[in-house]
Amino acid sequence: MYGWIWRHLPGPLYLRIIEAVVLVAGVVALLMFVVFPWAEPKLPFNNVTTQ
Amino acid sequence: MPPRPPRPRPVDPPTEVIPRVEDEDDYDDDYYDDDDYYDDEDDKPAPPPDSFARKAVRGFGEALITMGLVVLLFVVYEVYVTDLLSAEKQEEATAALDSEWGSNTVTPPPSDPNRQNKLTLIEGKAFAKMYIPIFGNDWKFSVVEGTTDKHLEIGPGHYKDTAQPGEPGNFAIAGHRVGKGAPFNDLDLLQSCNAVVVQTQTQWFVYRVLPMSNEVAGWASNPKSKDPACAGVAPLSTTHGDAYAKTVGQEIVVPTQGEVIAPIPHQVNTTVPPDKQARLLTLTTCHPRFSDRQRLIVHAIETKSYPVADGFVPPEMTEG
Repeated sequence: MYGWIWRHLPGPLYLRIIEAVVLVAGVVALLMFVVFPWAEPKLPFNNVTTQ
Repeated sequence: MPPRPPRPRPVDPPTEVIPRVEDEDDYDDDYYDDDDYYDDEDDKPAPPPDSFARKAVRGFGEALITMGLVVLLFVVYEVYVTDLLSAEKQEEATAALDSEWGSNTVTPPPSDPNRQNKLTLIEGKAFAKMYIPIFGNDWKFSVVEGTTDKHLEIGPGHYKDTAQPGEPGNFAIAGHRVGKGAPFNDLDLLQSCNAVVVQTQTQWFVYRVLPMSNEVAGWASNPKSKDPACAGVAPLSTTHGDAYAKTVGQEIVVPTQGEVIAPIPHQVNTTVPPDKQARLLTLTTCHPRFSDRQRLIVHAIETKSYPVADGFVPPEMTEG
């Protein structure tokens, strides 16, 4: 998977490194601001109220 | 002291020549030979073509590594990133509260403390400030109305339909222990008689943590009970009757035990007229930390109240 992505990044080496960093940052942002806030209430970590 | 003469270097023993041990053929030579095991060999054999199995195994490994990284990232999110997001919301709520308190003409507090103005509580809006001096004077949170996830992201949340600050009954607040500002991170460290100060627009209320379950029996002979900080604190069973026998400073319950925030904790069906009810504060959070298996509950009783006045800060605020 990672090898495939790396082979398909266009441009010379330095450009590929930049592209890879941007991709990683994008995925991290997606997780942090979309996926985790959605998933968190469904996980049994942080319920603090009594019923 | 003169410098010590340098010690003579020990003479290296002559290198012993160990005769080369011939391979005993107890491992498979071919295994090492047909792989690119020795990377520094000059004539590298060409890597074998990617078979389907090879690709599948590599893909599986990469997927596992990726999932591990995602889980690690989730921990970072839960413990640090939510703190940042919540800090912003808490700040907004506090700013809204401050401007509300600043703009309204402060109605003088009622002379009879039993008859207080009811606060109008709007879900998701802060209505009081909370301080726990023993946690340091930077420990302050604006308490919002409501205890849904959305509300608790802002700060500690007041259980709807429980008493208001200073009212007879049980002023109950939930708060996060991990992440989201973690207001109740150290709730387990509260000792009996520690002060929890709540400020509304017109009044300060000082609540003090009740004696712990192991302190109830010998409270009268406990030197702690003579401490000025403990004035007004006594096991509730001795001051307010048997209905309060189960109400102690700290308890750990299962999440379904909603009776801990009842006007008289653990007594859902008992009807006691409000004027006979103690003025309690109950804090709830998750327990153990990082888990929601149980709930940590802290009960405190109101011992003092002061009217809000310019420049006045209750002396309890400097404790700790």
